[in-house]
Amino acid sequence: MAGGGERSRPTAFGGGVPGVPGNRGPNIRGAVNHRQPEVYSLGDGLAARVRYAVARRAVTDNPPGKAPPMLRTPRPLLLLATGLFLACGAPTDDEGSIRVALLTSGPVSDAGWYAGAYEGLQRIEQELGATVSHQQTATPAEFDEAFLAYASAGYDLVFAHGNEYQDAAIRAGEQFPELTIVVSGGGRIAENVAPLIFRLEEGSYLAGMAAAAMTRSGIIGMVGGVAIPPARGTFRAFEAGARSVRPDVEVLEVFTGDWNDVAAAKEAAVAQLSRGADVLIHNLDAASFAVFQAVREARAEGRTVWALGMNSNQNDVAPDVILGSAVIRIADAFVETARMWQNGEVGGAAIYASTRQEVIDFVFNPAALDEVPPELVERVAEARVLIREGSLDVPRVPFIEGEAGVQ
Amino acid sequence: MRGCSGGAVADRGDGVADSRGGGSDSRDGGSKPEGGVAGGLRVRRFESVLIALGALVLTAAAGAILLALGGHHPGEAAAAMVRGAFGSRATFLSITLVRSIPLILAGLAVALAFRAGVWNIGAEGQLYAGAAAAAWIGLTGAALPALVLVPAVLLGSLAAGAIWAIVPAFMRVRLGVGEVITTILMNFVGIHLAAWLVHGPLQESRGVFPQTDPIAEAARLPRLVPGSRLHLGFALALVVAAGLAVVLRRSRFGFRLRAVGESPEAALIAGRIDAGRVLVVCFLLSGAIAGLAGGVEISGLTFALYEDLSPGWGYTAIAVALLAGLDPLGVVVAGILFGALQAGAGAMQRDAGVPAAWVGVVEALVILAVLALDRLRRVRRRGGV
Repeated sequence: MAGGGERSRPTAFGGGVPGVPGNRGPNIRGAVNHRQPEVYSLGDGLAARVRYAVARRAVTDNPPGKAPPMLRTPRPLLLLATGLFLACGAPTDDEGSIRVALLTSGPVSDAGWYAGAYEGLQRIEQELGATVSHQQTATPAEFDEAFLAYASAGYDLVFAHGNEYQDAAIRAGEQFPELTIVVSGGGRIAENVAPLIFRLEEGSYLAGMAAAAMTRSGIIGMVGGVAIPPARGTFRAFEAGARSVRPDVEVLEVFTGDWNDVAAAKEAAVAQLSRGADVLIHNLDAASFAVFQAVREARAEGRTVWALGMNSNQNDVAPDVILGSAVIRIADAFVETARMWQNGEVGGAAIYASTRQEVIDFVFNPAALDEVPPELVERVAEARVLIREGSLDVPRVPFIEGEAGVQ
Repeated sequence: MRGCSGGAVADRGDGVADSRGGGSDSRDGGSKPEGGVAGGLRVRRFESVLIALGALVLTAAAGAILLALGGHHPGEAAAAMVRGAFGSRATFLSITLVRSIPLILAGLAVALAFRAGVWNIGAEGQLYAGAAAAAWIGLTGAALPALVLVPAVLLGSLAAGAIWAIVPAFMRVRLGVGEVITTILMNFVGIHLAAWLVHGPLQESRGVFPQTDPIAEAARLPRLVPGSRLHLGFALALVVAAGLAVVLRRSRFGFRLRAVGESPEAALIAGRIDAGRVLVVCFLLSGAIAGLAGGVEISGLTFALYEDLSPGWGYTAIAVALLAGLDPLGVVVAGILFGALQAGAGAMQRDAGVPAAWVGVVEALVILAVLALDRLRRVRRRGGV
């Protein structure tokens, strides 16, 4: 299903989207892989069409006469349904506009991971004129159901925002060949299922450089949530970035096992601070506030300590203690992916979102810039250029099926 | 703790044969000649339809007001809800009925226990135990043929659910500890056990994500209707419901069970029924059926164990069982109703843009309305008939 070799060839944004407004920076368009559109053999296309026809028949309404009697909806309910349907009007199916849906397993009001995705969906609606829809799913059983519902409602592209969707996405991809599914942080690839990988390592590498330049004790700390490969990857890169500035730096690492456990994160942060660490980075969700709080308390005791933000621009969350943030601009990545899909470039390969498209970045906190030496800002900017050019290799922990190093 | 229906029974004066309303007592009434049974029967049938309609109207009104307050179009939301549940044969089969399967099975588990006077609130934990067992058997027995492996998975989930009920059953019968508390505590153990399994020993072979590998093809339940997601689990649920209905009404054990459920002391004195034994058997049977709900979900639908497999089916099942008047066949209807409600809730998010939290509020409203009206009926009957 998934594949090695050609299948896992990385794709990047921007190919074949000349002159589309909204791209940042002039050198984005220049620095992309122009991916050839997939050429299907006749046999493949035919098989896909047949499969699609079968699947379509399974999900569209059968004429009432054809349904086996015991499976028919009870008549009163059907009448009620029809009545309401007519009373309120069927959903308008405007021809021509693409239909894009978003699935999240958490509330889009989280001011982070899910909120970024929702913002992306709204921008796709505005910028591409798409018809959009969002559903928050709670259980794995709902994943399949949501894909089925969107596929039978004629949706073209579904963003499944989290690795938890990957198995259901592969199943749905087989069943609905006309549907394209993009799984954020997924690890499995199919013809019409593409993981969207945020290379946050590039941002945390730059954060590591900043941390090593700012530390006085020579000790920096990392507080993580669950030790999944993408999270471990950000810490490996942080460490590498730090050592590139100060090879003798000591790096402490702890995973609390929970993205949102505030108490555990606070404890871990306080422990690292008391071991002499004076710059802390995190990879947490709601528990990140605990790390900022621990740093704030250490500052109140008169120490010069810093925290680094992660995942989104957290500079405003705690402007008094944050040096800068390694950010993912999820909404940008979504809009670009939707554009790529319009050009037939999504599917069969992982999509990487990185500093190259400015989806990943490191942003110094403007409120802290007075205390940051200008040479450091310059050095980080230079490294950022090198990473974008591909001449500086940032370590990562592989987790995509078929990728080297993955079982 | 129990006795929520004791009054009604005492008023009728025919001892233990009557039960908590719904369809079951009407049939019992037939075998026990009593004045005015035929008339009461008709009134009661009419009543339950009225209650269902009343709940519908009440919820629709309250839901519409809430949606309007939230800035959503109530008509649009209602249309989306009905379309999502009954809009087409595919949505009805693949979403509504599929969602009703764990609700029916867990609802049957709760109904059986409640009939025997066992307040098993632990269907959720028993469901997770059954799911974990099903996943484990489905992964380790990959070499076996489907004819062996599918029954093994189902039996395994039954056994695991029953095992999960042993501790509360023992504490109730031997130590006199209330099972409401022990079953709830066992829920936490079950939920966290499943979480530990998918982070530890049963985690997928790549060791990346908190889930198991997919179970063997031979461990998966066949589809009931080709091309849909409806799997054999639905037929199983119907069989279990029919079986329980027959056992409760026709068998000696069913009679004992109802007797103990109405009054263990009376059952002991008048019928020399060993209440403790009946309680333990019911408890384990209830746990086994709840375990089956989890096993069927794994082998029929998700094909892997996940951390948050259940959105609280074990708790919703209590509402399902109560709505059905603890009648096994009623549980099937109530289960499908709740399945439709949840299916419609998904469509409300997708098509009408109503946020998930708002959908949850409307769902809760339906449950409240149904339960309140059901209670109203009972209070009225206790005073009136």
